[in-house]
Amino acid sequence: MKGAKILVDNNREEVILEFLKKGLDRTCFDAILIPLKVPSEDSFAYVLLKNPSLLDRASALPPVMPVQGAKALYSLTKQGKFKQKVAIVMRPCEIRAGIELYKLKQTELENIFLISIDCPGVLPLSDYIKDPEKGTDAFKETVVQWGSEFTRPVCKICTRFSMVASDLHIGLLGAEDRNIFLIPRSEKGENLLESLDISLENDMESWVTKVKELQEERKKKREQEHKGLKSKIEGPDKFLETFSKCINCHNCMRVCPICYCRECYFDSDAMKLYPENYLMRAKNKGGLRFPPDTLLFHLGRMSHMVFSCVSCGTCEDACPVSIPIAQVFALVADNAQELFHYVPGENIEEPHPLATYKEEEFRDIEMPYVETYTKKEMKDG
Amino acid sequence: MAKVLELGKSIDEGVRALLRFLLESGKIKGVLTLTKISRDDDVAYSLITNSELVEDTVPLYPLMPSNTAKLLTRLTLLEPMTEPIAAVVKPCELRGFIELIKLNQGSLENILFISSTCGGVYSLKTAEKGNVGEKLPQYWESIKKMEVPPDVRPTCKGCKYFLPYSADITVDLIGKEYNGKKCEILINTQKGEEFISGMEGELKEVEIPTEYIDSYRNKRLAEREKIFNEIRVEKFGLEELINIFGKCIGCHGCRTVCPICYCKLCYFDSRESDYKPINFETELERKDGMRIPPDTILYQIVRLTHISTSCVGCGMCSDICPVDIPLSIIFSMMGESVQGMFEYVPGKNVEEKMPLITFKTEEFVELEL
Repeated sequence: MKGAKILVDNNREEVILEFLKKGLDRTCFDAILIPLKVPSEDSFAYVLLKNPSLLDRASALPPVMPVQGAKALYSLTKQGKFKQKVAIVMRPCEIRAGIELYKLKQTELENIFLISIDCPGVLPLSDYIKDPEKGTDAFKETVVQWGSEFTRPVCKICTRFSMVASDLHIGLLGAEDRNIFLIPRSEKGENLLESLDISLENDMESWVTKVKELQEERKKKREQEHKGLKSKIEGPDKFLETFSKCINCHNCMRVCPICYCRECYFDSDAMKLYPENYLMRAKNKGGLRFPPDTLLFHLGRMSHMVFSCVSCGTCEDACPVSIPIAQVFALVADNAQELFHYVPGENIEEPHPLATYKEEEFRDIEMPYVETYTKKEMKDG
Repeated sequence: MAKVLELGKSIDEGVRALLRFLLESGKIKGVLTLTKISRDDDVAYSLITNSELVEDTVPLYPLMPSNTAKLLTRLTLLEPMTEPIAAVVKPCELRGFIELIKLNQGSLENILFISSTCGGVYSLKTAEKGNVGEKLPQYWESIKKMEVPPDVRPTCKGCKYFLPYSADITVDLIGKEYNGKKCEILINTQKGEEFISGMEGELKEVEIPTEYIDSYRNKRLAEREKIFNEIRVEKFGLEELINIFGKCIGCHGCRTVCPICYCKLCYFDSRESDYKPINFETELERKDGMRIPPDTILYQIVRLTHISTSCVGCGMCSDICPVDIPLSIIFSMMGESVQGMFEYVPGKNVEEKMPLITFKTEEFVELEL
């Protein structure tokens, strides 16, 4: 694999921003979508910018993910294609979610230049906001160790922190502090580097090796964590306990990049009943939790989006009662995606499993059902 | 003079006895109240129909997982209750529901409202890991001493509407011993009297001393001033708005939990708020940069504009905010200011029309001229 090794004088963040400035100056792209520090300096927000001086407040790898980048891409392109060229700098899970949304026809990628970057994880938003200075230090440590106790729980077990289907990838791993790697992942990426006079003369072997090494470590950790979590939530009783604090605020749904429905089924009239229906349901068991259908919401949302779940963990940040929602969904997502050998956002050409039909699939689930009912039909004549 | 039914039980037991009586007598078919639902002392509202399950209820628990006004509108939006139920609500929840009634979002029919003189609730974050259970003894001690419990919601600390309007039955808590031997139930309406008749207890006519209410209210007002002074909303210009709302992530959780926000499709979820690429491109010509998704502060200001005449200061919005913006304080302050201009107290009187639907020619002439 060929890429470019860029020497770093001051710090890596600065080099990346310099590179982006150059891209704007030479009109390789007309605008950049990148996180900027907010005026109160205790958070970050995606800003679409034309003026390169705004990049002084930007960060290609901010310590937090207040808005999942794919949601920003969705906001930008849901009503159509951009005529101008926009470079978007996002973390791998954000890129992957953006590609999933493209498959679901909710984003446009024409004239969009996706730039990804190796990611050590993000800090939970409320932790950072409570003490941004402490958070900045915690994040620095997270970058150095490539992971830490400070990150979102799902970040700690993330195996897809690099090598995504973007146009250009910024490699930090396998490079010492004095370097970053610029790795084209598409023809668009190659053309960009060419127009910036950046030649692809370096071998990316050290990056490839380091990434693979860390991925193996994380795979083991993920397996272990998921095994532990499964035993904690398996079965109706334990599952109910996991969600006993849920107040049905639907924050998890709203911050999720994959949940794009203008009116969620679970907010719609379909879920609103007449008073006697509620009372009847209450009488059935002597009592009915109100509002009802807490579990139905989570299971329903799960069945709708879990094939595209990128385990970003934004849902858990937004939960006001600290339910480990991202961890639960990530566990189910892994299993569901595995059934279809599908990795969300990995390959833009690969159709979404829910949009494909293969006759010879899941026969092992189908056949017992067919057998039982065929027997019954024959019995009933 | 007020009608009081005195029960020779603790308040804790007394309220449950009342609910049991109402269910067993068949006067109500169900009761909507807080219930313990897990081993961790998590509580949630439940519609209980079996009197045996009253044992699991904690009607006066100082936690508000949802504002009950939202639950009552969920129950009665399509049509009124066909069978009578009781609802145990905090004063602000009842006021919220009265506002929703004025907005045609529910019905009061066939609901017996049981409320309490309210000491406030803890924030949802406090409720993690059974912390509320640990704080309970201190909470009830503060209530008994007529002090403001130290770590309840800020809007509770500074709430001046701790006496419920429109309740049929009110359990008196302020200044009382929660786990003592007496439970005083104030009967406010004829409906309340009809439902409670037959319940074992001593019926009395008492004079409620107003001085103790006033002195408690003064404590609350002092807290209110302190809390409002920390934020100084009246000094907000664009710069301060950007400062305080800059970290808003647009999750709209505040809107979802707000009892007053009832729109099926909020403006900010509608097509009106969907920008086309040409809109972004045009905006980029005018300015150097644009926040994506856009309209962060606009959303807050519009919501303020839409709901401030009805804001009941329950504090759900602050609890839900993932980035700890002091929303409930800002909205309560705006609410108080706007409501003062119209001399309107949201939820006080269901007959009183909302300011936004009344027109008086001789009003705000000084602004007009």
